[in-house]
Amino acid sequence: MDLAIRDIRQHLGRFSATVVGIGLLFAIVLSMNGIYRGFVFEGLSLINITNPDLWVVERYRGGPINEQSLLPEFFHYSVAAIPGVEKASPFIVYPVERRIAGKSRRFTIIGYDVFTGMGGPKKLVAGRPIVQAHYEAVAHEKLGLRLGQNFRLGLHTYTVVGLTREGTSPDGEPLLYLSLPDAQEVIWLPDNEEVRNQRLRIYQSLVRPGFFTPQEAEKYLARYAVDTHKVNAILVRLAPGAQAKEVALRIQDYLYLSVFTTPEQIDIMFKGRLNRPRMQLFLFRSLLLIVCVVIIAMVIFTLTLEKIRSIAVMKLIGAPNRVIIRLIMEQSILLTACSYFIGWIVIHNTYQGWPRLVLLTPEDDLTTLGLALIGGIIASLLGIWKALKTPPALALGEQ
Amino acid sequence: MAEVLKVEKLYKTYGSGRLAVEALKGIDLTVNAGDLVALLGPSGSGKTTLLMCISLILEPTAGKVWLDGETLYDNGWKEVDIRQIRLRKIGFIFQARNLIPFLTALENVMLPLDLLGLEKKEAYRRAMELLEYMEIAERANYLPALMSGGEQQRVAIARALASSPKLLLADEPTGALDSDRGMKVMKLLKSIAREKQTAVICVTHDERMIEGFDFIYRLKDGQISLNNHPG
Repeated sequence: MDLAIRDIRQHLGRFSATVVGIGLLFAIVLSMNGIYRGFVFEGLSLINITNPDLWVVERYRGGPINEQSLLPEFFHYSVAAIPGVEKASPFIVYPVERRIAGKSRRFTIIGYDVFTGMGGPKKLVAGRPIVQAHYEAVAHEKLGLRLGQNFRLGLHTYTVVGLTREGTSPDGEPLLYLSLPDAQEVIWLPDNEEVRNQRLRIYQSLVRPGFFTPQEAEKYLARYAVDTHKVNAILVRLAPGAQAKEVALRIQDYLYLSVFTTPEQIDIMFKGRLNRPRMQLFLFRSLLLIVCVVIIAMVIFTLTLEKIRSIAVMKLIGAPNRVIIRLIMEQSILLTACSYFIGWIVIHNTYQGWPRLVLLTPEDDLTTLGLALIGGIIASLLGIWKALKTPPALALGEQ
Repeated sequence: MAEVLKVEKLYKTYGSGRLAVEALKGIDLTVNAGDLVALLGPSGSGKTTLLMCISLILEPTAGKVWLDGETLYDNGWKEVDIRQIRLRKIGFIFQARNLIPFLTALENVMLPLDLLGLEKKEAYRRAMELLEYMEIAERANYLPALMSGGEQQRVAIARALASSPKLLLADEPTGALDSDRGMKVMKLLKSIAREKQTAVICVTHDERMIEGFDFIYRLKDGQISLNNHPG
């Protein structure tokens, strides 16, 4: 005779309400799993999509994604000349907040050499890659732009020639791919008024008494023109048979730059930018799981207290301990399993509407279920202890 | 008549030293199969303590207890499975809230049979048989909360009889019932003793209920005396 089911049958309303309540908590636990996975996935997605053999960045910098790095664009010629390098391509990754199509949006500009294709989008869901040196863009779907749409960015108007769905910045912002010179212009070219002001400031400093004549100052002013020929990294494809470590050492020694392989970049992200939020999310989901277990323990304990006389009656008529243990543990496991199921249904039907990526995996779902069930068993211990301590004499009204 | 229960020089003391309270002082009692025994006495006289010692809920301080030829206590517990003895040989009925509230009448009666390991079909058959014997079969699927006190008590008796015990212990079984219903319950206990040859020990303080009992014992200050003339 399944006593647990029969007891639940009598308290069906309360049991159901508790299941829904704890189920929503489990939904949050599962969502935290998904947010955690999504956070890591988004944090690494740009590295994984770009995936060159080597990332060359400013010396002592962990960039370009974990940390900002800035290099002169022409360095890619020097890198390309290093033995073992088949191709070196300049690369820009730069988060911005600009107005696009009348709305202020946060996104990350990716500038790449559209002719080598290194650093560009891998899979398009519509349209084509950028094939012209200027005024074409490939946009992430999340930006809300349509194929063929023209939009103003900085000084120029760009046309969306392709749409992509893969990859975001580490912050989960959508990507906008531009050709390298377009990206450089959008990011580093100040507007005309700022250029005029800057030139005036430089001119005034040049014509100070004892420096240059106005004619000489005009001549040198061109030297101080705004430099947009900067990149954040140089992506390297190795020649067949070249060893990444050896080539990296050569670049470091000859060019005084820092070099990382893609796994090293991932490692840097894990230990750097992703580390604390990752730990925070892990801590948060662990705490939530503990909260669930504590609530289940309290509910089971209360249910046990309510039937303590019935337990005494059972003991009096000769029920062995295992029957009583089973009654309480089964209720705890049922409560946990039903709550988990409710949580699972809630999160699996809502996660696509969340603002950031929620990446739910069967492994995480199963692990959480396993931990929840272990928690459910632990939660029943308090009730079991109380039940086993109950004297059969209680049934006779004696304590 | 087969001897079902024998108690010899049974003592029970609560506490120790100056605070010691002697609840039972050398109780001797023998009950045979089919005997109807009433234990009368005022509150605090030791009736329930004696019942608990007999039913192995409470450990006596000294003395001997035999049940169905088996020594259960001889100045210390003997190596017996107390739960199994309670399950197989002793049936319990008490004043109120006898039944498990989340089980129907039928399930309450089936519970000891289930604990005894009977197949569900057989347990159902026997439980229904007992409910019919108690004339409460029509309430088989009712939860206790939906039954009157008298009906609940009849179900409790059916449950107490489920394992065909040698000894039926009833602690104030009419205490929560009005006198009509109380009389009916007592009548049932009498017929059980006669028809099933079950020894019945009934603790009560209401002398009107013990008419027709074979032995009437009185407990006072922990001492027992036989008195077959109630009132």
